[in-house]
Amino acid sequence: MIHTEGLTKFYGNYRAIADVSLHVDEGEIVAFLGPNAAGKTTTMRILTSFLPPSSGTATVAGHNVVDDSLESRRCIGYLPEAASLYADMRVLQFLRFCAGLRGMGKAETKERLEYVLATCGLEERASSIIGTLSLGYRQRVGLAQALLHDPPVLILDEPTVGLDPNQIREFRNLIKSLAGDYTVMLSTHILPEAQMTCQRVIIINHGEIIAEDTPEALTAQIREAETLYVAVQAEDEAIPRLLRDIPQVTAVRPTGDGKHIFHVDTEVGADVRAEIAEFVVKKGWGLLELRPVEMTLEDVFRELTTEEEEPE
Amino acid sequence: MRKVLTIAGKELRSYFVSPMAYVVLVFFLGICGLIFALTIGTPQARADMRGMFHTMVFVALMLTPILTMGLLSQERSSGSMEMLMTNPVRDLEVVLGKYLAAVGMFALLCIISLEFPLIMSKYGDPDWGAIWSGYLGLFMAGMAFIALGLFASSLTSNQIAAAILGAFILLFFWLIGWLSYSVSQGLGDIAKHISIFENFQDFEKGIIDSTPIIYFLSLTAFALFMTVRTLENRRMI
Repeated sequence: MIHTEGLTKFYGNYRAIADVSLHVDEGEIVAFLGPNAAGKTTTMRILTSFLPPSSGTATVAGHNVVDDSLESRRCIGYLPEAASLYADMRVLQFLRFCAGLRGMGKAETKERLEYVLATCGLEERASSIIGTLSLGYRQRVGLAQALLHDPPVLILDEPTVGLDPNQIREFRNLIKSLAGDYTVMLSTHILPEAQMTCQRVIIINHGEIIAEDTPEALTAQIREAETLYVAVQAEDEAIPRLLRDIPQVTAVRPTGDGKHIFHVDTEVGADVRAEIAEFVVKKGWGLLELRPVEMTLEDVFRELTTEEEEPE
Repeated sequence: MRKVLTIAGKELRSYFVSPMAYVVLVFFLGICGLIFALTIGTPQARADMRGMFHTMVFVALMLTPILTMGLLSQERSSGSMEMLMTNPVRDLEVVLGKYLAAVGMFALLCIISLEFPLIMSKYGDPDWGAIWSGYLGLFMAGMAFIALGLFASSLTSNQIAAAILGAFILLFFWLIGWLSYSVSQGLGDIAKHISIFENFQDFEKGIIDSTPIIYFLSLTAFALFMTVRTLENRRMI
């Protein structure tokens, strides 16, 4: 549904994105992940025909975003970053305005308005002036206008900024419910968001795509060791050393959470939980906690985007 | 065309929910009304509108940049431009929609200002032919003013800068006629031909000639064309 090849954009001499080639299939939900100023917004602005690329091509739903931009724009629902709406308009007025710009008929407008107001939880605010709404509600209005014309492709730039935790949860559920019917590309720098809502993650940094896969595959890819979280109750200063002597254990690091709480690294593919439990019990210590540590996207992200080697 | 009207309707509504429409109405009618009252009260007052059209076109020249200043610059400064332009609308449709809204406001000013000839006709017998031709000239000049003001608004993201720039452009086209008295014949003729003031004079006298009509229409078309071109150049955001 979304396809780009070699997209490059210069602002004067500043290169915002370089050679971005990506592909999003129909019905897929993809997170576009990157630190601030990585080029997420620039890429999305090119996809929505707001900015022309310096070079490269992009198509949305088969329409070139430069040569056939009216058609490609028709297929996109776009929520710009920090959705700037007309502050002096009422919510319903604004949505009707958007419907007019998209050439929607009367019956269609009425039906879709009811749907988006309900979906975005805006029924009670339909006659509020947008300028008086809180940031979270404005974001909802932005989302409502993106969904309004029932576009096959949704491009959402940092959609959860400004929402409170409850709203974020609702929003993520909403996005998940769109899977299959809509093609969604959302940008974020909040990693759990990508992990929770998206089937695939594209990581961009300094304007270049540096990784692209499912969240699981990405974490597996950079995993260098299995890590266990071990909390022991005992009065023995030699615990780390003794744990280190268990076969296949490669390192024991204090977590900083408490006195006898450690991260125990083992060789890849090894599972020494049984051995550790047995060892601790044999020593007469108390075993408070023992669980594998899941590598999160956050670790992946740090791994991929941090340039300097962290000192051991 | 429906999209043009959608945008125009939205902008017209904005004029009336902000103080803008009322400020412009009050200023235009206030200043023109004051001058009307002062001239008509004198013993030598004549039942014609020539002086009034002069006043009205000049007040319009000062006020239209205020009508147009926010039309595009505000979209840019508030960031709503992104929302607007990622809709399936052509740049031309956006420009025409905004232009129509301001022309609509100006038409309203013209209609309300009909009170002046109406009052005049109660006490005298003005030549309505000359009045209609004067209004045609006023409206055509207004169309050109608004197009130039809209162009100024497309150049910057600062409303005040847009208003000042707009007024400057209009004053330039107004005053350039004066150059004709101080430069050589050939250059003077060119200056006269592109001067708003010189082109407006025939209308006040009740003469409807094709030259000034073509002049105002082409000035309008040129300014709108330049506005679309500026909008297309998105690098300036």
